[in-house]
Amino acid sequence: MAKRTDMDHGLLLLIVAILAWIVPGAGHFFIKEKKRAAIIFVAITATFAIGLFIGSIAVVDPAGARPWYIGQIITSPGVALIPQLAQQAAQIGPNGELIPLVSYGRPHDVGQIYTAIAGAMNLLAIISAIYMAHSGRGEMIGSEEDE
Amino acid sequence: MNNIANILAGFMSPMDIPTSPAAMLWMFPLILSIVIVYKATKMRVIFPKKFVKEVVVLFLTISLFLILAGIGLNLLVAFITS
Repeated sequence: MAKRTDMDHGLLLLIVAILAWIVPGAGHFFIKEKKRAAIIFVAITATFAIGLFIGSIAVVDPAGARPWYIGQIITSPGVALIPQLAQQAAQIGPNGELIPLVSYGRPHDVGQIYTAIAGAMNLLAIISAIYMAHSGRGEMIGSEEDE
Repeated sequence: MNNIANILAGFMSPMDIPTSPAAMLWMFPLILSIVIVYKATKMRVIFPKKFVKEVVVLFLTISLFLILAGIGLNLLVAFITS
């Protein structure tokens, strides 16, 4: 097997990081850590979905709750589409005014915590995938898994 | 089909969670999820039985200490405000 150059290695780590950010667990899947990838994908996606279900899609609010939004977007860049969905879900009131989809109180808090923690967990998964790719563990264990 | 529509509609309106001590129970699914991801990144090789065992042990440990911390803090508040 040909030895990787530093540039190849850096590119591999970058690809793993980007994949792990786009889809939770995809970074591990790329380095053949399939079981780990499946567990991470299910756990992070379920946590984020439960958060949205509890507080509604209005918990993703880039304008009103920016620090939380930063945490939420670490789950996936696809999270950026959710505020647009929330805008489309706005209703027209009796006087023709636009009533935005809002969430408040305890469900809003719980939903925000779930979705932001999902992002924090994905950050952990991204770092883990990069570390495994860097140390070559993924390739070693992955080939063992395939056998 | 109706069930799917109901589930999707659930994402458009917040759930009803009253401001009561029972709302704290929502921390347990979150703890479980954090433990699963932590163990998935931490374990060198994933063996299903060992993974489940370690997840259960860590989940119970964290839950127990959080419950004890909650009881301790409640006792402290009761002591200060009495």
